[in-house]
Amino acid sequence: MLIELREVTKTYGKVTALAGLSVVLPEGAIGLLGPNGAGKTTMIRTLLGLIRIDSGGGRVLGHDLARDQLAIRRLVGFVPEDECLFPGMVGIEFAAYAGELVGMDGRDALRRAHEVLDYVGLGEARYRRVESYSTGMKQRLKIASAIVHDPRLLILDEPTNGMDPAGRDDVLELSIDLARNKGMSMLFSSHLLPDVEAVCEHVMVLGKGKLLAQGKIEDLKQPHDRQVEVRVKSDQAAFARLLRERGIEADPVDDYVLALLPLEAGTPSLWQAARDSGEQIRSLKPRRSTLEEVFLSAIKEQR
Amino acid sequence: MPIFDQGYQHWDGRLRGQASRIGVITARGIRVQLRNRWVRWILVASLGPAFLLSIFLIIWGLFETKSTLLTPFFVLFQNLPEELKAGPKGYRGAIWTLAVRQFFEAQLFFSMVLVLLVGPDLISQDLRFNALPLYLSRPVRRFEYFLGKLGVIAVFLGATTILPVLLAFLLGFGFSLDPTVVRDTGRLFLGSIAFGLVVVGSAGLLMLAFSSLSRNSRYVGATWLVFWLVGNITATILGDTVNQDWCQLTSYTQNLVRVRDSLIGADEAWDRVQRLFQAGREQFDSIARGPFNRGRRGRGPEPPSRSRRQQRSSWVQNYLAPAQYPWWWSAGVLGGIAGASILILTSRVRSLDRLD
Repeated sequence: MLIELREVTKTYGKVTALAGLSVVLPEGAIGLLGPNGAGKTTMIRTLLGLIRIDSGGGRVLGHDLARDQLAIRRLVGFVPEDECLFPGMVGIEFAAYAGELVGMDGRDALRRAHEVLDYVGLGEARYRRVESYSTGMKQRLKIASAIVHDPRLLILDEPTNGMDPAGRDDVLELSIDLARNKGMSMLFSSHLLPDVEAVCEHVMVLGKGKLLAQGKIEDLKQPHDRQVEVRVKSDQAAFARLLRERGIEADPVDDYVLALLPLEAGTPSLWQAARDSGEQIRSLKPRRSTLEEVFLSAIKEQR
Repeated sequence: MPIFDQGYQHWDGRLRGQASRIGVITARGIRVQLRNRWVRWILVASLGPAFLLSIFLIIWGLFETKSTLLTPFFVLFQNLPEELKAGPKGYRGAIWTLAVRQFFEAQLFFSMVLVLLVGPDLISQDLRFNALPLYLSRPVRRFEYFLGKLGVIAVFLGATTILPVLLAFLLGFGFSLDPTVVRDTGRLFLGSIAFGLVVVGSAGLLMLAFSSLSRNSRYVGATWLVFWLVGNITATILGDTVNQDWCQLTSYTQNLVRVRDSLIGADEAWDRVQRLFQAGREQFDSIARGPFNRGRRGRGPEPPSRSRRQQRSSWVQNYLAPAQYPWWWSAGVLGGIAGASILILTSRVRSLDRLD
């Protein structure tokens, strides 16, 4: 088990950041979703043992949150959301220093720093002062310095925030590669749902310090009984029009038609319409909720 | 080079013990500071007094053993009191103490300048570039972070105060060829190390506290300079006008000096040497001009007029003699400054257990 939290409560004065949060997360890439103030950052700090919780407990990678904080931090790599740098260093020193702070021997840290900087695409900039890096480069540098000691769990806090599309793609590519090909577990906190969907298999939704939803993304995206996605051979818009003329709610969306089947008729009505118009149905499948819908419905339920 | 060209390799090496974090932070800080050529220059310049102290202790060792190597310089020792010439070993402790005291007088200046050059960046730059989350999200505790930063100042100050004293003592021991030197100067040795630690602890904590107050290291440097110089000026002005013992407490370095004199036993050494020279007033005046009378060669110094003699005596009392007020006053002031520094540090460099 990657993470296990039991009834974790954390308050700051009158503000309750985590309200009896209990969750068990398996190894793999986990998306951490939640609106502002949901408790995402507090949860991450709890996992890193950076804050003293009021009650409850838990384990990260088998280590107790309260007792083995340093052991947890040795096994975890963390990429903070804010822009943060060790000042006065060039890229290679930065990554090596990060490794040494975790406890790596100086020579090992330097060798690994070269490797991870190449891996994140900063090999050419390794001898440049980090203050001169662009936002995207700084983000990749933070990832490099978080994985320099080869952590078992990588925590990324809003890693694509404020980045241009190319930089965002780079970070997502790296995250996907680490999670899927390199076997690194990951906690990916973001409010950009497509990013979470691209990287993660599991997701947990936080709201007001409580767990609102959790599970595999595919399982959370519920299939709808009456809504179907129909893809036809020729003109999607014409087929949608034809369905509407027959009393079936239908709209062309991207390269398919989204249709709401009548209660009594079901899918035969679609086949009938296709036969009558000489159209060929290439695919027909029930519509599944998007991650956005899952997220919004979880938030709505809490309200 | 496109991403992933080099792939990603897993690493399964061993991690070092927890205590290594402090050393890592200190070593990094030292490397960064040594890039500053002013720091390197001051370090080299601070070797000067250490060199002079070593020379003095070597000459004293030769003087004790009546070495023939000193024969060409015999004239330099002519004006010393007979009692001293007859039994220099009896005054070894006192003479060494006053020599070390003068050494520290010079090194205190270099220490203040070094702290000014090395210290301002230590925390202020971390605050400016928001480096604390990077430190604290790794297996580094807040006090380890502080100790690592303090270590940077400690290494530089240690290199200008403690290390030269150790080397000078080794040379002094070597040239004395007398095991009793350990007994005679043991207190001085320990006092010197203790004073080095007091300077490191006090100046280090104070500078770290200043450094945590601003994200701009220039302001930090200016604050240090003001604290150091304005304190001295205030103490001088108050000393001349109010003329009370407590006036010296307004000077940071004067407080360090008072504690130093107490730790190395300068008060007793000064009294002893003063009594030695009381036999002849002129002889006492000669030490005010330096360890060797630089008067006219081959003859004893001409007796100065009474007013000149009084003037010189008053200068000696004001600027060379140890202060007379209780040393714990200064120790209290330094303790208070250290306490305030710790308070500032813990409130300015906060843990991440807070709402942003």
